[in-house]
Amino acid sequence: MINLRDMALRRLVTLGPRYLPFADVATDEVPLSRLLRLSLFQVTVGMALVVLVGTLNRVMIVELAVPATLVSGMLALPLLFAPFRTLIGFKSDTHRSALGLRRAPYIWKGTLYQFGGFAIMPFALLVLSGYGEAIDAPRWIGLSAAALSFLLVGAGVHMVQTVGLALAADLVKDEDHPKVVGLMYVMLLVGMALSAVIYGALLSNYTPGRLIQVIQGSAVVTVALNLFALWKQEARDRNRAQQMALARHETFAAAWTCLTQTPGMSLLLVLIGFGTFGFGMADVLLEPYGGQALGFSVAQTTLLTAILATGTLLGFGIASRTLGNGRDPITLAAYGALIGVPGFLAIILSSLMIGAPLFVFGILAVGLGAGLFGHATLTATIRAAPEGRVGLSLGAWGAVQATCAGLGVLLAGLVRDVLVAFPGDAGLHMQTPYNVVFGIEMLFLVAAVIMATSLVANRDRRRDAAPKSVSQTHSVEVS
Amino acid sequence: MSEDENKVWPTGLTLKEAEEVHSYLIDGTRVFGAIALLAHMLVAISTPWLG
Repeated sequence: MINLRDMALRRLVTLGPRYLPFADVATDEVPLSRLLRLSLFQVTVGMALVVLVGTLNRVMIVELAVPATLVSGMLALPLLFAPFRTLIGFKSDTHRSALGLRRAPYIWKGTLYQFGGFAIMPFALLVLSGYGEAIDAPRWIGLSAAALSFLLVGAGVHMVQTVGLALAADLVKDEDHPKVVGLMYVMLLVGMALSAVIYGALLSNYTPGRLIQVIQGSAVVTVALNLFALWKQEARDRNRAQQMALARHETFAAAWTCLTQTPGMSLLLVLIGFGTFGFGMADVLLEPYGGQALGFSVAQTTLLTAILATGTLLGFGIASRTLGNGRDPITLAAYGALIGVPGFLAIILSSLMIGAPLFVFGILAVGLGAGLFGHATLTATIRAAPEGRVGLSLGAWGAVQATCAGLGVLLAGLVRDVLVAFPGDAGLHMQTPYNVVFGIEMLFLVAAVIMATSLVANRDRRRDAAPKSVSQTHSVEVS
Repeated sequence: MSEDENKVWPTGLTLKEAEEVHSYLIDGTRVFGAIALLAHMLVAISTPWLG
């Protein structure tokens, strides 16, 4: 008996640490395979975004016959959580853990919320739409349950993305940040593209049972991918744990003030907001615009999204390479926004002359610009982060980026819905309202270009004014 | 059981570390339980299986 216990114990001793989900040692060099594995969390984020913005939008309106305004309201709920990304990032920066972990606990919590939201979402939607006996249930049950499920998924996505990016930034050396940022963006795009195709195929024959299977399936896939991504990524560290236990942290308000007073940071955040909003409205409107103004078929308009994604991928690739070679990210962001301007111009003009070739060129340019801009601004944010505040800085990036992208999509969706309902013979050209929106996007991008150039000019002036101290910090920034 | 805080037990963890691992498990179970309860209630509303 005692022998057996002894044996089991010895076995456990040798097995124990190997089955714990964190690395035993922090390695200097993180292999690409490990980064690829970590980037899987972006796939789940992309998946959640597709479910919220694309799939459920259609399913709720068409199959479940929920009023469209209610649907937009529900889908906008996760946006309310976006500003809390700064708080989440800050909390992960200042987390106290006996294991010395900072990021992993938050990714795990975020994963749980994502999972929980998806797990109750199909039932909440069925109750909301009055399926089966739910027709007799009080209205508030369906409403609040659906709202809760969207909020949970949204909160989970915000947590996982913010803290996951912070973990990725922690893991690699400064000069490798552009590569990691590129990888993360590409995986987000891959996740969105793959899940859009898969959800489309799975939900083409809609039944309530199928809806439950698909959404709960995504819950399981989310947990599986995130656990796989997180496994043994963050090192357990007794020294850091001791430092954490002793460290005294400033309050969130103080840290936030410190961040916004970092030279150029607030302007960078505004720049991110303008650029993201400018580029963000495009992808929702391109398909209806292609269909209505240029007479593309449904299959052809789907191809437009693929062209846009190709341009964006190209942008990520170019940005990874040039920023890895030590180019300044804000200058590159200015180029990105600058490329978007003729892109939108081409899209507007394509309804008046030349047509499809000009349109395709415009989409490619917009995609390329969006890729360059997104990559460059995220890299700039990571580099501008004060010491030990990568999480907070990324939280600020995410809050601005998610809010503006979400607002862009919402606004574009609103415009599209109004336009689709628009009678064709109202004396107005079909493309005019679209072109007004594209024109507004162009203005935002022009503003972004101006801001980026003034950011670069400001920084150069500061460097000239105080050559010694600033050139040092600058070299850290750019290295 | 000795009360030495820094003792590393056979699992490779100190007491505090083990407690933290445990807390993740407990929190996870609680959230999971709450979600499961809510999901069951919603299913019962739309397709009652009792009574």
